Amino acid sequence: MQTRRSFIQKTAATTAFVGLGGFSLSSFNKPNDKHITILHTNDVHSQIEPLPHNHYKYPGLGGFARRATLVDTIRKQNPNTLLLDAGDIFQGTPYFNYFGGELEFKLMSMLGYDVATLGNHDFDNGIDGFVTQLPNASFDFVSANYDFSNTVLQEKVKPYKIIIKNGIKIGVFGLGVELEGLVSKRLYKETKYLNPVEIAQDITRELKEIEKCDLVICLSHIGYYYKNNPDKVSDLILARNTKDIDLIIGGHTHTLLPKPTIEKNSIGENVLINQCGKSGVYMGKVDFYFSKDGSKTAKGKSIIV
Amino acid sequence: MKKYAFLLCFTLLFLSACKKETPAQLYKIEAKQIITDSTTKEKQSVTDVINPYKKQLNEQLDAVLCYTSSDLTRTDGALESSLGNLMADICFEQATPVLNKQINKSADFVLFNYGGIRAPIAKGNITARNAFEVMPFENELVLVELTGSKVEELLNYLAVNKKAHPVANITLQIKDNQYYNVHISNKTFDATKNYFILTSDYLQEGGDKMSFFKNPVSLHKTSYKIRTALIDYFKKTDSITPKLDNRFTYAN
Repeated sequence: MQTRRSFIQKTAATTAFVGLGGFSLSSFNKPNDKHITILHTNDVHSQIEPLPHNHYKYPGLGGFARRATLVDTIRKQNPNTLLLDAGDIFQGTPYFNYFGGELEFKLMSMLGYDVATLGNHDFDNGIDGFVTQLPNASFDFVSANYDFSNTVLQEKVKPYKIIIKNGIKIGVFGLGVELEGLVSKRLYKETKYLNPVEIAQDITRELKEIEKCDLVICLSHIGYYYKNNPDKVSDLILARNTKDIDLIIGGHTHTLLPKPTIEKNSIGENVLINQCGKSGVYMGKVDFYFSKDGSKTAKGKSIIV
Repeated sequence: MKKYAFLLCFTLLFLSACKKETPAQLYKIEAKQIITDSTTKEKQSVTDVINPYKKQLNEQLDAVLCYTSSDLTRTDGALESSLGNLMADICFEQATPVLNKQINKSADFVLFNYGGIRAPIAKGNITARNAFEVMPFENELVLVELTGSKVEELLNYLAVNKKAHPVANITLQIKDNQYYNVHISNKTFDATKNYFILTSDYLQEGGDKMSFFKNPVSLHKTSYKIRTALIDYFKKTDSITPKLDNRFTYAN
């Protein structure tokens, strides 16, 4: 949390810079501004029904049927809403053991999920088990650092997807965790894991400079941070070593962030990282507001909390 | 809709000279976590899709597979338990033909951990739901080859740890952090020999601080889940007689 002192300092600096730049800034939400809402889940782990009433931590919480109502309500408020998932859709209740993920994909399709990435548990029935269920998914999977070129997922999982909502161009790319040691090779087969930071640097350049995306979102299943292994690649490390990512939606570590983390990227700009626990108990909601005036471009930015 | 914990609203101010190519200017982000609780009504069309799966699942989970004449728990003995013994014996029996077929080998003895038994089974009918409750994890059986000295570490662990860790095809006694009278497959333990131990992938990878399983002489992963072994055994068995047979006890 920023102190009042630094708030004032930043504001003063901003004002000075604006004075030089010669145009005025607006921080108000004007009625004719463009508004994009991002809803997201992670590590839902086949939690089709709400958690049991004797659950040690979240008794009776979660459930797809309730989440559907929440999503409908939010879409009514803002039709320009994306629903995303950061992986580990599978495994955790007998629904997965008995139906292999069929119901998970069908329900996510009903709720209108737009894009998801693969978590390590999404390989639990093997890459073949995953591909078998794909026809039940009306949404897309993205992963930029899993090379599926010698597998059945070749061409079925793309590095990123671009969605245009109300004229705002949104690039969503995926990153997965290292599978070796976590998943049996018999399950992931010839899937190649590539360095998430290097891949993200390439992909963001493509999304920002070639595709000219207004918003770049990373669906990450690499984990938020590893306290006992701080050098292991994680969302915090990813944020610090890349640029042009606006939002990292995390998973894998089942981290329930009380509020999203704001981290500085490689050129000192702010990146937002969010992750919302597991089992679909919480759903993240991030609202991006754009000014309607198209004549200005962001060069420097300051965030005021 | 109940909103939780935080409402973070921050404003991005963009300071810039004019460039024409980018159409939109991001100036504000708001973020929050939304809890999914009972104050939100279920969407009927979604519930309608879930219900047939739920019915079919419950029928399968609650189908009676076999019967136990008394409660199976992990706490009814000092260093062994009715449920621990059953679980270890079942895995030994079920894994034998699998190991035979896969690598033409068999296990010398079985070791699991006390903490891995997640629920008891009450006397009466046994169902697949019981197997999911006892073993909710996806742990798979692995065969670990250890040197005699690593097996000594394993036995020391049991002697110092003093928990009813499930074992099969081995008998031993412990006293004052020492182990005594160790018999494996009815033969006296020989520290100069290698042994093949059936355990879970979780424990082999160092779970419950069983570090003696790390860097084994050889390792074979069966891909056979412990829970599946339990269900397969329950299916082929009519009735289970829980037993404590002094396989792992305190020495007098």
